[in-house]
Order: sequence, then structure tokens, then C-alpha cells
Amino acid sequence: MKKILLCLALLPLLLLPQWIEAQEDAFRYLESIEKKYAGLRDYTAEVMVHFDIETFKAPDMQAKLYYKAPDKMKVESKKVFFFPKEGGYFNPSLFKKEDYEIKFLERSTDDGRKAVKLKLTPKKAKRNIQHFVLTIDTDRSLIREMEMTQSDGREVRAVIGYGKFDGFELPTHIQLKLDIPSYETEGVKEFDQLIQKPKRVTGTIEITYSHYKVNSGLSDEFFKETGSPK
Amino acid sequence: MKLFWFETFKTFSRWRTYISFTVIALIVILTEVVMKLSANEIVFRMLRPFQKDFLISGNVLNAWFVTAFIMNSLHIHIPFLIALVAGDMVSSEATSGTIRFLLIRPPSRGRIITAKYLTALSYTAILVVFFASVCVCLGLPLFGSGDLIVHHYGRFDISFIPESEIPIRIGLAFIAAIWSMSVVASLAFLFSTLAENSIGPIIGTMAVVIVFLVLGNLPLDFFRTLKPYLFTTYMINHWQQFLNIPIPWPEIGRSAIILGLHNAGLFLIAFYIFKRKDIKS
Repeated sequence: MKKILLCLALLPLLLLPQWIEAQEDAFRYLESIEKKYAGLRDYTAEVMVHFDIETFKAPDMQAKLYYKAPDKMKVESKKVFFFPKEGGYFNPSLFKKEDYEIKFLERSTDDGRKAVKLKLTPKKAKRNIQHFVLTIDTDRSLIREMEMTQSDGREVRAVIGYGKFDGFELPTHIQLKLDIPSYETEGVKEFDQLIQKPKRVTGTIEITYSHYKVNSGLSDEFFKETGSPK
Repeated sequence: MKLFWFETFKTFSRWRTYISFTVIALIVILTEVVMKLSANEIVFRMLRPFQKDFLISGNVLNAWFVTAFIMNSLHIHIPFLIALVAGDMVSSEATSGTIRFLLIRPPSRGRIITAKYLTALSYTAILVVFFASVCVCLGLPLFGSGDLIVHHYGRFDISFIPESEIPIRIGLAFIAAIWSMSVVASLAFLFSTLAENSIGPIIGTMAVVIVFLVLGNLPLDFFRTLKPYLFTTYMINHWQQFLNIPIPWPEIGRSAIILGLHNAGLFLIAFYIFKRKDIKS
């Protein structure tokens, strides 16, 4: 009996090195992505957005997207343009290892390639985001999937496909799956609506990227001009 | 036809007729100027359910949006302005004492009442066309053009109508609005044949419209079952359906038929009452 108890007590100690190794790996995966895109200062791309949401009946929208590291982004369109805030564009600076508590979840294979799943919880409150779950292609240091959970119940899952442009692997296609609560903020409410949970809006947004221009030297002033709706 | 032109001339010779046009011009000008000045607030309120999830750019608050926005108030002030003239068509003859002179002339009562009714309908059409013209002609230079975003306030529910489709859809919506408002004109016209002065038909028409609108919007089961029997239900939805994706033609057809039946019914009652009207006492 004593032996069994001793074994049970030692079991966590036996598992500890593996856990430490997994945590180190988790840091390493993010670090390798950071290194891979360290030379990416800015990019410009043409985007086409296709909506497949029942309550969002919109034609395909086109715009030009500008990004500058670490966190500047702007879209320009001649027409009305709706662009998903979370997961809609590629920002390699978003996942700096020092900004998150990282938990290793599992190893897997994605399309025959080795992959790992990490859970990232922001150390500081970041745009209402509770946590990210990233699926990283470890051979190519690419984020293949990104799941975002926000504190108000919003859930967004992005599946990213890449192409090579000027030496950088950048997204050619992002599929976003939305599952968000639809709060009715105005209007006459039915009596039973007051006690019901908010309905959820689900759907898919397909974003196609093309005509990349990398490191063209976009200035900070360029991003100050607001593209807000009139 | 001669009678119709004669009635039209009489209607447009009265200064009262032009009150409606002035009021509409004032409402539209005031609304569009205020919307221009508080554009940011309107866009913020309108797009609030989407701003958490989307970056939004482009000319959302364009002339077409403003026109659709003002059209939403159509069922509140336009019925009053229509009743102002349609409710006066027959009763004004009684008030001014000209009804006897009118009815002892060769044209039959049937022709007279038909000419008056057609005049009331023409006035309704001209008023709505004027309303549409002011909205669009003032809106385009003030707000510019663009895709029309049709949304339900406070809900994650939005439809985009491409700019190329808008003129046709807005045109059809205004034709539907004329058809909807013709029921108000018919109602006011019917009341006009019953009254000896113009105030009664105007107030009566407005009372019916307001009561029906209130009953139709109360969120209780009893009133919900009542809703299909109120003409105001079809009056509001009829034109708005042209801004849906896709356009629900069967529902539009159904609404048009129901409104048409109301028109026919109300006119036939007015016709019958006018034919039997006692002008000797």
C-alpha cells in the first residue's frame, strides 16, 4: 500500500520534465513564427470578401488592405466595405510570446504535416479576447488555424491558406467561421424576449488575398487618415 | 375626362392643397440637413451591432439610405396630408353650398363622384412623387450615391442593395407607396361623402390610421391575430418589400390585391352614399 502511495506521489514529478519541455516548445513555436516574419515591415494586398451569413445579405466586396508592423491596418474601398475585425487579416506581430500565457494542448497532423495546438491567454486585456487557440504547422512555422473566444461569447475560427510572395508566406485565403451573439439593442421587445438568451448568429466569411506588395515602405501618416464610414 | 380635369383644376386652385407640398418640402429639407449635421451619430447608431465585428468604410449614409429612412415615416405624416385634401373633396361642396348646383347639372352623380375620386387619387400620386423627388434631388448633392444598406435597428440583420439596382427598386417602392396611400385617400374620400364639413373626414381618417397602426404594433397575441385584418399592415410593408433581398413578389402581389380591394370597397360605398345623398333638406 505504501509503495502504491509513493508511486502516486512521484507520478507528478515524473511528468514534470515532459510538461516543462512542452511549455518550452510552445514558446519556441511562437518564437519561430516571430523570426520568420521579422523582415516583414508592411504589405499591401487586394482583398475580396464573400459573406455567407443568413442575416447578412451582401454582395462580394473588394478593397485594398494595407498593413504595417506591428499593428497598423487600413482598408480602402470605393464602395461600402465591411471587413471582419478579428481574424480577417494576417498580423504576424499579434502573437508575441511575452504577451500571453501559453499552454500546450496537443500534437497533431494537419494535411500530413506536423502541427501543434497552443492555447494563448492574453496577460493584459486585449480587445475583449479571452483566449486564442492556434494550430501551428511546425515544419513551416505557419499558423494554420486560429480560434478566438471573447468574453462576451463571440467565437471566431479562422482557417488560413498561404502562398509565397517576395520571400514571405502570406495568406491567400482565410475562411472565418463566426458564432456570435446577436444582441437586440433597440426596438420593441416581445415579453418573452426579455428572459430569453440572446440568439446567435452563425456563418462563414471567405476572404481572398491577391496582388501582394511587400515592404513598399508605407508611412505611419498614411494610417492616420481614417477610413471610417461617412 | 372633362369632369376630371375640372375637379383637378378646382383642387389645385385651393391654397389648402399646397400646404401638403410645403410641409413635405420642409420635413424633407429639415430631416436631410439634420442628418447631414449628425451623420456620425446616425452611422454609429445604425451600425452599432456590427462595429464589434467589422471595420466599416465607405459612404454608408448616402442619398438612397436617407430616402429610405425618410420613407419610413411615410405612414405617419403623409396620411394626414392626403386626408387634408381627399377628406375635403365632397364635404367642401356641402360646406360652401355648391353641392346642389353641382348635382342639378347634366353630368350624372356617378360621373361626378368618379371624377372627384380620381382627382383624390391623382393628388395622392402627385404628393408621393413630389416627396420622392425632393428626397432624391436634395439627397444626391448632399450625401452622394452608393450602395443602399437596409438594416433593422439594433439587430444583426443587414442587406446590401447594389447601387445599380437602387433607382429601379426605389422607383417601384414609391409606386407601391402611392398604392398604399391611395387607401388612405379612399378612406378620407368615403368620410367626405358622409360629412357636411371637412374637419370630420380629416380627423376621422387620421383616427382610423393611428388606431390601426397602434393595434397592429402591440406585442400581444390578441393584436397579432388582428394584424392581418388591418389595412395599415399592408400599407407599411408594401413599399418596404421592394428593399428586401430577394424581392418577395408573391407577398407584394398579395398586399397590392388587399389594398386594391380596400380601395374598390371604400369607393363603392362612397359611390352608393353619394348616389343616394339627399340634397333637398
